[in-house]
Amino acid sequence: METFISDIQKMSTEDGPGIRTTVFFKGCNLKCIWCHNPENIPFYRQKYWLKDRCIGCFTCRDVCPNGAISFHEDGLVFDEKLCVFCLVCADSCPANAIEVKGQSISVQELIKELLKDKAYYEVSGGGVTLSGGEPVLHWEYIEPLVQELKRQGVHVALDTAGNYPYHILQKLLPYIDLVLYDIKAVDSEKHKEMTGLENTQILQNAKRLGAQSSVEVWIRTPIIPGYTDESKNIEAIGKFLKQNMPDITKWELLSFNNLCAHKYRLLGKEWALKDAELISRSKMEQLCKTARKYVKSAIWSGATKAEV
Amino acid sequence: MKKIKEPKNLTPRIKWLRDYYFQGVERPWNNEYKVFTTGLPHDEVYNEIDYYIVPETYNFFNTFQYGLKQIGKKIETPKDFYKKSIAERRAFFLKEAMTKHVPLDILPGDLLCGANFNLFISHCHTKKEAAMRSKILYGKGGLRERTIEFHDRGFGNCGATSGHLIPDYPTILKYGFKHIIEQIDNKYKSLSAIERRGSKGAQLRAMRTAAEIPVELAQRYSQRLSELAEKEENAKRKKELLTMSENLKVVPYNGAQDFWQAVQSLWLTHMLVMSDENYPGPGVSFGRLDQYLYPYYEISVKQGMTREFMKEILECMWVHCNTAYDAQIKVGSNQGITAGFGQLFMISGMGENGEDLTNDLSYLLLEVIDDMSPILEPKPNIRLHRNSPHKLLEKIADMIAESQGAPFLLNFDERSMAGLLRQARKCGLEEYINEKNVWNYAAVGCLENTMTGNDRSGTVDINLNLFKAVELTLARGGDLIEYKDQIWGKPYKQKRHSADTGDSAKFESFEEFYAAFEKHVKFIVENIARLYNESDYVRAVFHPTPYLSCLVKGCIDKALDITQGGAELRFVTVEGVTFATTVDSLLAIKYLVYDKKICSMQELIEALKNNWEGYEKLQAIAKYKAPKYGRDDDAADEMAEKVMKLWAEETWKYKTIMTDAQLRPGMLSWNYWISDGFILPASPDGRKKGQFLSNAICPSNGADTKGPTSNINSVGKALGSRKPDGDYLDYVNYLPNGASHTITLSPSLLRDREHKQKFIALLRGYVENGGTALQINSLDVDTLIDAQKNPSEYRHLLVRVTGYNAYFTSIGRELQNEIINREIHNKY
Repeated sequence: METFISDIQKMSTEDGPGIRTTVFFKGCNLKCIWCHNPENIPFYRQKYWLKDRCIGCFTCRDVCPNGAISFHEDGLVFDEKLCVFCLVCADSCPANAIEVKGQSISVQELIKELLKDKAYYEVSGGGVTLSGGEPVLHWEYIEPLVQELKRQGVHVALDTAGNYPYHILQKLLPYIDLVLYDIKAVDSEKHKEMTGLENTQILQNAKRLGAQSSVEVWIRTPIIPGYTDESKNIEAIGKFLKQNMPDITKWELLSFNNLCAHKYRLLGKEWALKDAELISRSKMEQLCKTARKYVKSAIWSGATKAEV
Repeated sequence: MKKIKEPKNLTPRIKWLRDYYFQGVERPWNNEYKVFTTGLPHDEVYNEIDYYIVPETYNFFNTFQYGLKQIGKKIETPKDFYKKSIAERRAFFLKEAMTKHVPLDILPGDLLCGANFNLFISHCHTKKEAAMRSKILYGKGGLRERTIEFHDRGFGNCGATSGHLIPDYPTILKYGFKHIIEQIDNKYKSLSAIERRGSKGAQLRAMRTAAEIPVELAQRYSQRLSELAEKEENAKRKKELLTMSENLKVVPYNGAQDFWQAVQSLWLTHMLVMSDENYPGPGVSFGRLDQYLYPYYEISVKQGMTREFMKEILECMWVHCNTAYDAQIKVGSNQGITAGFGQLFMISGMGENGEDLTNDLSYLLLEVIDDMSPILEPKPNIRLHRNSPHKLLEKIADMIAESQGAPFLLNFDERSMAGLLRQARKCGLEEYINEKNVWNYAAVGCLENTMTGNDRSGTVDINLNLFKAVELTLARGGDLIEYKDQIWGKPYKQKRHSADTGDSAKFESFEEFYAAFEKHVKFIVENIARLYNESDYVRAVFHPTPYLSCLVKGCIDKALDITQGGAELRFVTVEGVTFATTVDSLLAIKYLVYDKKICSMQELIEALKNNWEGYEKLQAIAKYKAPKYGRDDDAADEMAEKVMKLWAEETWKYKTIMTDAQLRPGMLSWNYWISDGFILPASPDGRKKGQFLSNAICPSNGADTKGPTSNINSVGKALGSRKPDGDYLDYVNYLPNGASHTITLSPSLLRDREHKQKFIALLRGYVENGGTALQINSLDVDTLIDAQKNPSEYRHLLVRVTGYNAYFTSIGRELQNEIINREIHNKY
């Protein structure tokens, strides 16, 4: 399987401690209804057209060897049956109006890029966060990457949803400093409803992760209106954590934000939450209070916070 | 919507003074220019050379030249007046004006004396001297005409400019003018009879007269204060007035004995520099205020003076500094002319062994800034380094979080000191700048690094558009477009300025193009150095500043005025403008014509001549596909370093003829990067004529798509990065003057404790990877747009533009839009 990276975000301040660079891997085996990075669900590369950038020169249409591009009233339309993903269109667009998500980059190159901000990692207690998608599914690619980062003294965080056999994670753990582990719900049926899969393996892995003490673990729970925002759900996760993962250093409740709506538009996908409202501050505080009954380190954060 | 920062914790006294200041034209009292002449028909009071670096004023030279002297008040001169040297005449005239004609105003509750200091006084020239000067400046082929054409053709601007130095205030505070007068007398005694009759004797006599001005003025103020005290009914105020009167019996003639006296001595000494130069504080810096005032602070703390009262004394000084802006109070402001005066001071920084020197007074000064802000003057620069204390950084983060943009600029010691040490080695000046004293550097103007009390580095005297060399390369050493007289719109003849390096369309490789570019870079530096020499000459011959000369080490020793090269350290800084536009243009040429062969050179030149009109596709490729400086892209940043080294190296080849001042490189663009964008042609990086050029060392607007750390890393690399053979430790810095770097951060980075820590880490990272000086804007777009629509409601909204503070509503729509665009971009 070829590994594609959709983005390398420098000066990331929301994915672990300090100043970080976050690498987003493509491909996930969950299909969360609310997914904030829908471009990272498929493993394959994707392309989309950015209307605001287009200067209307029609170069893309003219260079496409298969005639897969045409322009209609609403702008550019790809004929997916004809497109062979040669990406000549994106390469020749003068204004970068056709954006491709998913670049193939060697581990060596990636390391070089990640080390550019080493000075900031060192003074901030930051480092590199591997995110996605589900980065662990790229364990073959990631293993030499984290080994080298470890050798270079870079703090590595792994942002994962935990849906895979534990031995894969185990292979990587010696080179990981922090695991950001998602637990969305304890009720397996509900989990299936929201993500397409049951959570048996996720919770099992969580327990094993809770039983080891060499790697720091933060738990993250997205608070999604109508899905995970019931206090019942937080109670259940709280109980689970108290019982199985007593050593976690942080439990973050991440409030829903709608900034990803435009991504769904670009990808031509419907988003179930497009009309959902942001969670109020008081509700987040309430849920956080509930969470603290079980886990003292529980906090909440999210984009809504700045706007309240 | 984000609330605008309000002043806070002010005592009734300071609140009244601050509010009074902001009444502006409504005030019954102000510090408007006072004009004094000899009354002779040929007399002039306005020296336009001071404004050659302010192209916005070119239109008004005649108005100022003729208008000002008409409102001048006549001062009688003695019979033998014109037998003396110009410096002696000028010292006499200044003394007469300051001590006998300028009123001794004291504002209610004020704790410091020295209110009226904005002057225009007679040049004190004989008819013959005035005629000689006129011949050089005015008329066909005169310096004025050539300076204007030089600017109109997009080369940049230059002129011998006032201020921009740190007078030796620490010596005055410690020993008083008594010490200066003694030094002058001793030097005079050591002269031979012939020397006394010559220029040396005349210069020392002039300085002797000038050194008496503050002493005599203090006596008069002291007298006036005791009279006011007698009439004062409020016992508390009466006591204050009496103490002030007593203070002025001691300082500035003697050394200061406590904090109040020290600040009084400092203010009086400082304001007279502005009077002497007839310019309201252009970059005159107080230097390391928290260091040399500290002994007096300690004394007064021991004597029981409260922190509150010390703050009031400093806040009175703040109000005094701001009255510099009264100079043109009725004229109003435009594009930062009046927002650009700039009196500066430093806080914190390291000592000889890298140890941190932050003290209680540093924090007291930060409180003063915080309480008084928003207010323009004086402008604080905080020095940071590897050992800066966390407490200081937390205070900085809090203040930035609360203000609209940092109410101060940050200076970075390691990189700054590397540049100054490099300069010392380049010029064999290790005696004056070395590992043992470089830590005592400070900034003048906006961020320009110099040494203290013995250094005039002419930091904004030469402003060179580097992009002009790209144009010359494309056009065989000539103009690519037709240039016009900016006042009358009359076209200039197109001509060849530099060597004919051949038809650029025939260059077969980028290396060939770059070799021609190198020749034109050499030319533009030599060319601007040549023009500068002329105004340097006029200032040296016709415009001595004997009072300022008393305050700069070297002038007494050499018995030479500072305008004639008296200072121990003499530099003229060439500020490179349009750096990123130049680098990105070279990168675009390489990409479009040679690497990808997207267009021919001929096509590119046609596109530029047509301002990209009809070439939109090519323009988009140049803009979006070609590599850019500012993204931490090693290949692009390598080009940046190469260009930096090239032009910086050229500057070291020149010295001024008259004053033996060494040219040196720096990067500060004031507002030229905006206005000159309308003069220079479209550039190969995709910029159209009329769009802004790049600012100082910053990446081109919108080019820094990889976020702040990448932007910072690129800047550090352009300055020379870190290398085993560094200039200071392993830090390299090609620009001893330093380089202005602005980043705008989303306010969300400072939203809570955790994120403030990340912001602090970013600053610590800047110490490691970044440049010499950073200003941080953290404005949100909505506030700015609303301020643009409703300027009357945002009169106090302060932003920082290229190292100087400006009221957002007064900076002109273009600059406003620029700041808004920058913010929108960063939100992306």
